Amino acid sequence: MSARFRTLAWVLLTLVVLLGLDFGLQSLLPDSSIRQLLMLAAIYIMVAVSLNVINGMAGQFSIGHAGFVGIGAYTAAIIASHLHGSSSAIAGPGVQSFVHSWFLVPLSVGAGALVASLFGLLVGLPSLRLRGDYLAIVTLGFAEIFRLVIASAQIDATAGFARAIASLGGQNGYAGKDGQGVPLFAGPFWVFGAAIAMIVATWRIKFSGWGRALRALREDEIAAAAVGVDPTRYKVISFVLAAAGAGIAGGLWGTMRDGLGLVQPDQFTFQFSFDAITMVILGGSGSVTGSVLGALFVTFTVKFIELIQGVEIVKDLQRANPWLDLNALRMVIYAAVLIALMILRPEGVLGERELFGKRQKKAGDAGASGPSKPGAPSEAAA
Amino acid sequence: MSLLELGEVTKSFGGIKAVTRVSFQVPQGSIFGLIGPNGAGKTTVFNLITGVYRPDSGAIRFDGGDLTTKKSAQIAAVGVARTFQNIRLFSQMSVVDNVLVACETTRRTGLGGALGRSGAFRDEEHRMHEKALELLDLFQLRPLASERSTSLSYGNQRRLEIARAMMLGPKLLLLDEPAAGMNYGEAEGLNKQIRWLREHFNLTVVLVEHNMQVVMNVCEEIHVLDYGQTIAHGSPDEIRKHPKVLAAYLGEGV
Repeated sequence: MSARFRTLAWVLLTLVVLLGLDFGLQSLLPDSSIRQLLMLAAIYIMVAVSLNVINGMAGQFSIGHAGFVGIGAYTAAIIASHLHGSSSAIAGPGVQSFVHSWFLVPLSVGAGALVASLFGLLVGLPSLRLRGDYLAIVTLGFAEIFRLVIASAQIDATAGFARAIASLGGQNGYAGKDGQGVPLFAGPFWVFGAAIAMIVATWRIKFSGWGRALRALREDEIAAAAVGVDPTRYKVISFVLAAAGAGIAGGLWGTMRDGLGLVQPDQFTFQFSFDAITMVILGGSGSVTGSVLGALFVTFTVKFIELIQGVEIVKDLQRANPWLDLNALRMVIYAAVLIALMILRPEGVLGERELFGKRQKKAGDAGASGPSKPGAPSEAAA
Repeated sequence: MSLLELGEVTKSFGGIKAVTRVSFQVPQGSIFGLIGPNGAGKTTVFNLITGVYRPDSGAIRFDGGDLTTKKSAQIAAVGVARTFQNIRLFSQMSVVDNVLVACETTRRTGLGGALGRSGAFRDEEHRMHEKALELLDLFQLRPLASERSTSLSYGNQRRLEIARAMMLGPKLLLLDEPAAGMNYGEAEGLNKQIRWLREHFNLTVVLVEHNMQVVMNVCEEIHVLDYGQTIAHGSPDEIRKHPKVLAAYLGEGV
């Protein structure tokens, strides 16, 4: 009873804070680039946390997550543009915009999730029946095909499928139905809210029979099947869930407030899939909170290196050593941090554990209320 | 009445005929032995019954249904549990979680219940947990419930594997070399344990075993394979004296 009540209180508190952010973030953080970075961090968290379901929990190596993010982004952008014809100008904090978002965001982002999960089923069903690296190759191929089909569309195509693809803007990106920009209605309420919801959802998957079955599958597929865990079913459904999560992340990315109002194929290159894998592995494969940490790390490291160049000590150092061009060294430092982490903690920062470790009841002690020991003969256990 | 029935089951791997036209019937409630020299195809027969492999031809019937084309997980769901020759536990998981994995076939609340943490989901999780602990209690593993399964001793790991199999609530239990690595005294204990399992869980047991002390004592009926073919079938006394069995184990001309 009281647990239920506490949950309800938490949900309400979260909603209030999110609402406050939706209306107040602009005055709180006047610099739109920082707001953008925060929202992007939430989107990366969703990308990492959803990828963690299939790569970490189910142990299937998917390296085409960018494809599903991209599908979500394009789908949501298209739906949002058609539902709401005009430009992004009116999307900002404000009651009218917020009311609009309740109509636009669930529909467009939901459609993004749906289409991404359909493609997830299409890709996962054949490749997850096979063992090993097939999924990696198929997902990589799928993501690249998706990107290249959109990027290489001929603008002057006249009919049919080619025309439809070309209307997505090719390499230049999709900027809404009339080229005025994608309507950007997904404010902090939606972006941060979805990130929190996705963290809770994946956490609950992990700590349920489903998560247990996935772990078992990852460790020994034959033994898991022998106790009734159907490998194909569990893997495919997990993969579809991961794709849906990526679709939501993509949909919000395409339509987020302070975004560009433009969805480009270059956002969804292999580099992005690779970043997502980095986030998951860095934080600890299979760990939900680890994925969150990984996503935050990847998002902010590069920004952090930019920021410390403003600090006096660093400036002094740079004056003394003209070769110390942090901007140029940014990716080198980033790579060095990754390598160091992989040497020091190859299983990721958290391994499979969680931050705020779920209090594990000592299973053996839980028997106080349990039935007394049935009279098994002692030799039964000899 | 037979619970399990193999009819002319054949399986080859490339050019090697692992199992050729093997037929036998396992009576309900019996303890049935499947023996033969190394490489005779005993474990392959287990793998065929449990759907790890699919027979090239022949039929496998269980409890009135057909298992021939079913997948492992479905076969487990209709009540066929097994252990493995080389113990296969989920090594990174706790002892109780190993047992709990086997409750998925009977789960009623789906993924939606898990996501919403519905009351039904919580009740079911709690019930499953209690059931797993009861089983662990029965196999005297309860104090180890939250240990990692690899930290258990060899004998405890074997018992945990059986406990996990029993979580399925099976009608048939396939034991693949349960006496492997046991000394005389332990094997004696195993005999009692197998009989106790049958009584307590109302099981039919099929075991693959090399240890004749176990096979001859505990089995009521024995089927002998050599090079993938049936060479004998009968009671322990008949098998002990069967010329083909003696030849297969000791060589011709003995």
